Amino acid sequence: MNNIVVFGGSSHPSLVDKICGNLGVKPSQVKLGKFSNGETSISIGESVREKDVYVIQSGCGHVNDNFIELLILLNACKTASASRVTAVMPYFCYSRQPDIPYTAKGAPLISKPKESYTFESVPGTPVSSMTSTQAPTGPSHDALNAGNDTENKKHDGPTNLHQPKPVRFAGDGAIHKSPSQSRIPMVPERKENSSELGSLFNANNAGYKLWVAQAGTLVANLLTTAGADHVITMDLHDSQFQGFFDIPVDNLYCKPIAHSYIQYNIPEYKEAVLVSPDAGGAKRAASLADALGISFALIHKEKRSQLPKGPPDASLTSGGGAAISGKPLIASMSSLALNSQEMKTSGSNSRYVQTTMLVGDVRNKTCILVDDLVDTSYTITRAAKLLKDQGATKVYALITHGVFSGDALNRVSLSAIDKIVVTNSVPQHKTVKFLGKDRVHVLDVSQIFGESIRRIHNGESISMLFELGW
Amino acid sequence: MATNSIKLLAPDVHRGLAELVAKRLGLKLTDTKLIRDPTGEVSFSIQESVRDQDIFIITQIGAGVVNDRVLELLVMINACKTASARRITSVLPNFPYARQDRKDKSRAPITAKLMADMLTTAGCDHVVTMDLHASQIQGFFDVPVDNLYAEPSVVRYIRENINFSEAIIISPDAGGAKRAAALADRLDLNFALIHKERARANEISKMVLVGDVTDKICIIVDDMADTCGTLAKAAEVLLENRAKSVIAIVTHGVLSGKAIQNINNSKLDKVVCTSTVPFEEKMKLCPKLAVIDVSAVLAESIRRLHNGESISYLFKHSPL
Repeated sequence: MNNIVVFGGSSHPSLVDKICGNLGVKPSQVKLGKFSNGETSISIGESVREKDVYVIQSGCGHVNDNFIELLILLNACKTASASRVTAVMPYFCYSRQPDIPYTAKGAPLISKPKESYTFESVPGTPVSSMTSTQAPTGPSHDALNAGNDTENKKHDGPTNLHQPKPVRFAGDGAIHKSPSQSRIPMVPERKENSSELGSLFNANNAGYKLWVAQAGTLVANLLTTAGADHVITMDLHDSQFQGFFDIPVDNLYCKPIAHSYIQYNIPEYKEAVLVSPDAGGAKRAASLADALGISFALIHKEKRSQLPKGPPDASLTSGGGAAISGKPLIASMSSLALNSQEMKTSGSNSRYVQTTMLVGDVRNKTCILVDDLVDTSYTITRAAKLLKDQGATKVYALITHGVFSGDALNRVSLSAIDKIVVTNSVPQHKTVKFLGKDRVHVLDVSQIFGESIRRIHNGESISMLFELGW
Repeated sequence: MATNSIKLLAPDVHRGLAELVAKRLGLKLTDTKLIRDPTGEVSFSIQESVRDQDIFIITQIGAGVVNDRVLELLVMINACKTASARRITSVLPNFPYARQDRKDKSRAPITAKLMADMLTTAGCDHVVTMDLHASQIQGFFDVPVDNLYAEPSVVRYIRENINFSEAIIISPDAGGAKRAAALADRLDLNFALIHKERARANEISKMVLVGDVTDKICIIVDDMADTCGTLAKAAEVLLENRAKSVIAIVTHGVLSGKAIQNINNSKLDKVVCTSTVPFEEKMKLCPKLAVIDVSAVLAESIRRLHNGESISYLFKHSPL
């Protein structure tokens, strides 16, 4: 490996060492630190003149510090006459376009951070408050009893077990209990008073619809400005993100290692179901399911302005899943006000119902949830809950980037997820420590990055990396 | 109808200076919301239309989370740009990374240049700053940069608060000699210089005084006070040379690290900083700190910029 120089940022030194180990080079000398006033200071200890430079920095930890450190490193290499500078960002920060869902009045559906929660409030409980025919023993019990129930029901008659039916239920007052949208940015604590928030969006200035800055192009331009000639990343949240750059972006996939993990570590994986927790990840999950030759299910979230009509018991006769869990599936939702402020001003017109549909059959099956990113973990924990309620025996969560911010780990540990499989694109010591070795498996992506760096350095094709299993 | 008016924006922390400027201009700060992800990523939204408006973003960058402030500013600029603002001016009284302005070692980053490029990339059309550590930084930009001077405000402060007939202006290093000499000329005072040898960043080794300070009130003038090690040491050197008392006036009171401790333990009578850097909390810990308000200068420069008037008047005069 001639003329190659690999620098590691301060975000993820162990991954840097692993990647360098794969390449058979040593990480180059660089001193990273801060001046006393908080400005980032770096000094590069090796010549980079006419070298092919790779700077590895994951967008984790203190994101802004790490990102600016990356920019300064890139710039320093560029101004020190490096022939090519490549930014290697295993997890690309700011890759999610912040989107705030709106109410009819233009107020964003921002939920306040909760101080405490219980497992019950985490994934909206699908137990209807109106169910009186059977006393539900609680969702977690149902999940456990699901197997037994199936045994009993089988004798009762044809319940068309193998026909997947869309199943719909709604959280019981879930929105004001817990943040319902996983990817809504949180409002800082300062805005404790929700009426303060409400007053910003009252009828007087409802004419101007609030929008949120999109940082995607900005981050892309900043990297280019700093001097990056090439970007390597993995499982970008939006593949359109590549279009924001004027320089080549290689988006690697962790699919090959996920594939081999499932093949070798999940017993009877041929019977398992791959589940995408939201519509956005459907393609990712479907392609993995195709590669493995196993079935695929999708969880679809929908916000409806109207309550579904009809008595809740109606679905009891028709829904296969309903017969098993012994509960009405279209749980009658107590009308969900988006926030209390909203309710007062608009009355009953702006009542929304969050419905979650599972498309596909998961009964008595092992489920593998596949997602590219887990941050607050609301999506994945709710999805796991729903799957267990629908009779899944075991729930795996296969995640590329486990950021686990805030109290996400706490939530995951209380959730119905039996095993989390996550890559080391972001440091995972905390995850392993918190959840225990049995519940977490960390996949190593250094080989993929090492190989792609080697190929890019040698000018070889890296497209075969996408097909090759590891 | 095309109306083109000033919109003042400020991030959600350290709004003090921005609010003073807004008050002086008779405006209100635009309603904005900075949202911090639990991961630390920021997103930003503006609650008013900024289409075709003249935007001024006033950011105070203090010690500590510099990078967060920088990225917030970039996101704010970009948000205004994509919201079709006519012109976006960053008012950065204390320019971040101003001291990393040259390649002083092999492969050292010129971060000030990178900051300039980043601001331009984000969509900044104009920069207003104050007492740049090196005025050459103006050349790093492809957009106009107005480097305001704190000097008129400092002159006013000295005239109003110090018995300046007995005073002498001291430059704590050779680099600041020009600034100190200019101030001494304005006040018609003598001027002395301390030569220091710096071993590493934020550390000083040896100091030599050039000039006579016997029985004088020494006013140390510098553009930036960081850990204040230099100032404390300079005060000692001056008092050893029979100075009567020592006051320090600095433009950017970053006051990081052990600064408060250093000032409290030093022989300095007073450390006066301009309000370019937020240090209100530190004033409670350190009775020796005082502040010169520069909001008037910034407000006047914003008004003049908006109306297309000359701002060179502000280089010599301090508006009330």
